[in-house]
Amino acid sequence: MRVTIERAALLKALNHVQSVVERRNTIPILSNVLLQASAGAIKLTATDLDLEIIESVPADVAQDGATTVPAHMMYDIVRKLPDGSQLEIEQGPDEGRLAIFTGRSRFSLQALPPEDFPDLASGDLSHQFVMPAAQLKLLIDRTRFAISTEETRYYLNGIYLHDVTSDDEKILRAVATDGHRLAQAQLPCPDGAAGMPGIIVPRKTVLELIKLLEDVEEDVEVGLSASKIRFTLSQLVLTSKLIDGTFPDYERVIPQGNDKNMQVDTRLFAQAVDRVSTISSEKGRAVKLNISGERMVLSVNNPDSGSAEEEISVSFDGEPIDIGFNSRYLLDIAGQFKNDEATFLLADPGSPTIIRDAEDSSTLYVLMPMRV
Amino acid sequence: MRIRRLSEGTVNRIAAGEVIERPASVVKELVENAVDAGAKSIDVTVLAGGRSLIQVVDDGHGMTADDLRIAVERHATSKLTDDDLVRIDTLGFRGEALPSIGAISRLTITSRWQGDDEAHEIRIEGGRQSHVRPAARVTGTSIDVRDLFHAVPARLKFLKSERAEMIEVASIMRRLSMAYPAIAFTLTGDGRRILDLPINSAQGRLADVMGKEFMDNAVPVDHRRDTIRLEGHAGLPTFSRGQTNMQFVFVNGRPVRDKQLTGAIRGAYADFLMRGRHPAAALFLTCPPDGVDVNVHPTKAEVRFRNAQHVRGLVVSGLRAALAVAGHRASSTVGRDTVDAFRRHRPMRPVFAERAAGYAMQAPTPSGFAEPAAEFAGGDGISADVQTTDETATTEDHFDKPLGAARTQFHENYILAQTRDGIVIVDQHAAHERLVYERMKEARARDSIATQPLLVPEVIELDPVSVERLAAAAEDLATSGLVLEAFGPASIVVREVPALIAGIEIADLVKNLADELESVGQATSLDERMDHVLATMACYGSVRSGRRLKPDEMNQLLRDMEATPHSGQCNHGRPTYVELKLSDIERLFGRK
Repeated sequence: MRVTIERAALLKALNHVQSVVERRNTIPILSNVLLQASAGAIKLTATDLDLEIIESVPADVAQDGATTVPAHMMYDIVRKLPDGSQLEIEQGPDEGRLAIFTGRSRFSLQALPPEDFPDLASGDLSHQFVMPAAQLKLLIDRTRFAISTEETRYYLNGIYLHDVTSDDEKILRAVATDGHRLAQAQLPCPDGAAGMPGIIVPRKTVLELIKLLEDVEEDVEVGLSASKIRFTLSQLVLTSKLIDGTFPDYERVIPQGNDKNMQVDTRLFAQAVDRVSTISSEKGRAVKLNISGERMVLSVNNPDSGSAEEEISVSFDGEPIDIGFNSRYLLDIAGQFKNDEATFLLADPGSPTIIRDAEDSSTLYVLMPMRV
Repeated sequence: MRIRRLSEGTVNRIAAGEVIERPASVVKELVENAVDAGAKSIDVTVLAGGRSLIQVVDDGHGMTADDLRIAVERHATSKLTDDDLVRIDTLGFRGEALPSIGAISRLTITSRWQGDDEAHEIRIEGGRQSHVRPAARVTGTSIDVRDLFHAVPARLKFLKSERAEMIEVASIMRRLSMAYPAIAFTLTGDGRRILDLPINSAQGRLADVMGKEFMDNAVPVDHRRDTIRLEGHAGLPTFSRGQTNMQFVFVNGRPVRDKQLTGAIRGAYADFLMRGRHPAAALFLTCPPDGVDVNVHPTKAEVRFRNAQHVRGLVVSGLRAALAVAGHRASSTVGRDTVDAFRRHRPMRPVFAERAAGYAMQAPTPSGFAEPAAEFAGGDGISADVQTTDETATTEDHFDKPLGAARTQFHENYILAQTRDGIVIVDQHAAHERLVYERMKEARARDSIATQPLLVPEVIELDPVSVERLAAAAEDLATSGLVLEAFGPASIVVREVPALIAGIEIADLVKNLADELESVGQATSLDERMDHVLATMACYGSVRSGRRLKPDEMNQLLRDMEATPHSGQCNHGRPTYVELKLSDIERLFGRK
């Protein structure tokens, strides 16, 4: 293998793939990135056996070939090289080494045979569809904060992606919950996604995907089966295994009969919550909302340090109510809202509350109150 | 095979298998008999670890000739007057010991009833008893057990070495003797006097048996609730052991090894000891005989209480109260260990010693330390380490406090304080961490518990017995913030968790709770988990090592430690301070 490539292009691709690679591995080759040079491009592959990223970068390939080298080390080397350098990557007669030359620097990295590199990508994908990157981003962004990290309920450690029919309309819906709160985001179903199996996309995949989508504008091809999902973004392919489990019947926890409606200015509310919760200790974080008529009083009482109270105006159509929430959960949800007004649908202090962005019908949040 | 009735001899040998496990069990049964007979002195002689001879001689009320004949029959006893087994106030009552021993050895009993003018003797060999013959003896009873287990060779094979059996005999006697300080005990093994415990006060006997070190590092316990009373001594947390072999529990004078009671002790010390460390304690529980059932175990090592929760509560609160009185005390062994460490190093490291000598010559002799304590009283012996001069007035007041007046801080973590008769070294981080932790715990007990109800209740699958246990304990758990209920026969649904630990693995916690309910009858790990969170927060919220403290801050820390219960050890059971007596220091320098 002999390749010449511009540093910036290689660095970007390496940055994408190396973040999949775990820092510590029991199987040595999993620390490596697979480099395959052929037909004017170099292809980089990295995997942790659950998740695989492949990215192709155009390069001047003088001689085809393949090898694997430690991913984090290669990334660090390329990162530290001066901007604008041209790298020569060469595999000599000794197959156990890969040499990198640029300017006056030369590196020789220990290589492992490419044949040993695990292949994750094979397998049929039953459903294929295309959706704009912005839409995919929205589904993930609005829900990922509610993903659980609890290992025993592993089936909550991801975003549940599935299609539903509501009012004769086909919808693609993403749901995540950690048992305390639930986040739901939905979009009209893209062509080809109808009839897809309900799948749980693991947390790590979600986080990687969000990073990759950051500066992508074009459409994303999505392919999935009951056990795998694949996202194709122009030069880059991310394939992931899915969580093998059954997502709980989340629709049952979304209350239908909450009839007390409250409108509040999102920004004022979030700021007030943030301010009063300064008083609360690490351990509780409870903020109490006293809502009656035109006003809401937020209060925090911490016997160790004092108390705080703030009043904001709201419009509320129910009987006065006293209800407590974990302030961090409130802030998480308020942070999702892009518009000025939030709607709370309340029942009583012990029942789940629905919170929505008043002008955005695609998302919905359910939050369980605290007992304080 | 037809069903047939077992012969008396076989029945006795089977019973012996339960009651007489090893020579030490013979000693236990016979010494208990002697205690029940009102003896003032009990002498035990053992040869070859008890295989060839066990002899127990007492000066109790003895037995008449008729008594002797019937005593060796199965299920014959003088001790049980109430056939309902409700009021048992003697150590024995089953009437099994003598015939069981007789079935597997050559047994000779010689006894003279008080007031009789002659003694009698009876022999049993392999279950066959001889006629009662006249013999010579003062009032009391002697029992000789020779060739133990000769009739059951199988058991003989399972005996440990003579030495190991001897140790076991001694430990059983020690344990029994703790409960009866008014009886003198001796134990002679192969001609050597192994135990010699004269009549003593309860405390004196404890010191004799458990060592003076234990008594120096223990706090007295005396706690009463209704008709139950807990007395004894509890070791300081810093005087902990790697094993439970320094834990002695007595119920109505009977040594027991009861899981519930040891669990209660563990619970009482939960906050002060690391996992794997065990407190030393000698505890005597007295309750009306009808409040406890001792007839649940052939050797009566376990007992059952009519109100187990009540007893557990008493033990836990009694111990906690006693430890709280101990307040900031750390074990004296800590200080002594330090002195020993100094002394050990000297001969081993001559280079170090020489260098130390070099320092000594250069350094001007600090008068305060060099002269005996009398100088301190005058106040001019105070060294000039305290930075501010207006300190001196208040320093005088600090002097009389248990932890003394702060002199200086060294290595940015240790406070050196001077007391009337020594010095105290305080680990500032450990000490402050404990103070913060105690304050948080106090707040947790005072405030109501905030809970986070679950949006998606968690269903945990368990075995039906655990489910039932948890469901029965649901009310208790709910007061700690964990709301759960049975969900079908083999699963539990958790509906609310304490907000403090809202993010934890609920399934693990619930399984641990179920195990604890089974083994100790009380679910402690929920509170432990919450305490653990507090402890972690305390660690972050306290003065770290490396922080320079001003004299006022140091003195404040010392005063807070004196006022806070349990401040003598950090959250991991390590001491927060070490006290060196002036006499120890003088010893180090060869002045005394």
